[in-house]
Amino acid sequence: MTRWKRKKPSKLLTPMKLNWFHFPLFLMCWGLQAEATTQPLAADTVVERLHGTLIRVMENADKLGYTGRYQLLKPVVEDSFDFLEISRIVMGRYWRRLGNDQQTEFVSIFRELSTATYAARFDSYSGESFRQVAREPFKGDRLLLKTELVKQNGETIPFLYVLQAQQEKWLIINVVADGVSDLSLKKAEYASIMKRESFPHLIAKLREKIAEYENPKKK
Amino acid sequence: MNKQPRGVFSFKVIALGVLLMFGSGCATTRSDPEKDPVEPMNRVFFNVNEKLDKYFMKPVAKGYQRVTPKPVRSSVTNFFDNLFYPNVILNGFLQGKFKQGFRDFARLFVNTTIGIGGLFDRATPAGLLRHQEDLGQTFATWGMGQGPYLVIPLLGPSTARDVTDLAPRTFLSPLFYIESAATYGVAALNVINERANLLEATEIRDEAALDSYTFTREAFLQRRNDLIYDGNPPLEEFEDFFEEETDSDAVE
Repeated sequence: MTRWKRKKPSKLLTPMKLNWFHFPLFLMCWGLQAEATTQPLAADTVVERLHGTLIRVMENADKLGYTGRYQLLKPVVEDSFDFLEISRIVMGRYWRRLGNDQQTEFVSIFRELSTATYAARFDSYSGESFRQVAREPFKGDRLLLKTELVKQNGETIPFLYVLQAQQEKWLIINVVADGVSDLSLKKAEYASIMKRESFPHLIAKLREKIAEYENPKKK
Repeated sequence: MNKQPRGVFSFKVIALGVLLMFGSGCATTRSDPEKDPVEPMNRVFFNVNEKLDKYFMKPVAKGYQRVTPKPVRSSVTNFFDNLFYPNVILNGFLQGKFKQGFRDFARLFVNTTIGIGGLFDRATPAGLLRHQEDLGQTFATWGMGQGPYLVIPLLGPSTARDVTDLAPRTFLSPLFYIESAATYGVAALNVINERANLLEATEIRDEAALDSYTFTREAFLQRRNDLIYDGNPPLEEFEDFFEEETDSDAVE
């Protein structure tokens, strides 16, 4: 036990003389720090608000019921995701083949499906919490936010968010849960349906899913 | 005590592994439009597997879940995790993760002794965390492409690269060297228990999937990729996804 030694005080904490040339250095650091924190903070807020709502929905899951959970989530989900951009990515090369009305219809159904999925999936609470792990910038104006869902037993499930700046606002464009990207999964599925069937089939299937979330089949 | 049939079998497995290794040598790691060149065949096996699962495996797993208390099921899971752990240790070393390899060795030792043959996971609370390594991941870290996506009858999703893990997983398991009819019972218990552990995941899939074949393939390939990078895929992996977008647009 004698191996524990008292640490020397850090040099950073010792007072140092300030000179005139330190001033621009201060300004530079302050500027860099401001750039690094203020902008992405808005991105953190978007994800934190979504997580906060999810926890609230889980805590009151039974009292709210599916409809209550849906209503509570709807404004937050609609304000957190860039559904137009997501629709464009998720439909890939098929997006441009759709007419304006079809594109609008798709975006609206996809928005509904996203809220319905959250409302159906987050239907009980057993002490889970979310925590942010890291934030990494992307090429261009995208940002990666690494978070974790922490279960009561300490087990964690990684949740990664890809956000994109949209008119001075950060919006989520992809969620990667436990290594599986929601966007790529849906993109592959929708492409397969578009290739083997048609757009009306895809829409019908999406509507069917929303209805199933609302009234789950008893097995 | 006739070892002959197993010797022949082992040679076949190795030969198959080597064949698949060369066969998949030039493919890329990242999922691309050519990732599923044998889709028609895969879909046939997928449908057969799904039927078998629906009418046999799933009901059996559900029954097993009903009659066994949760602590028993987690002990069964722990036992088999520990039994197949030598494969994890070997592949940790093969990937150059020496520190992890030694820690995993300690984990196996702790769980086999204090954990009574692996029934209890005493290593995790002591900080010796469980890792997931296999030969498919080792080949990936050595730079080998994943090759075509394959649906193996009875076993489910895999790739030409990942299917190679069947060999070390089999040979490094003590079960393989025990000559007794009871071995089959133990092996069957492993399969049922594994299926029971997946009940929740498959229910989520059935709930969310519009096209279960594609959903299963994508989820499997992405999960594998995540495991290869030990849960930290490089940022380019996410960027590729957006780049891919413009590429496919340009093609059409």
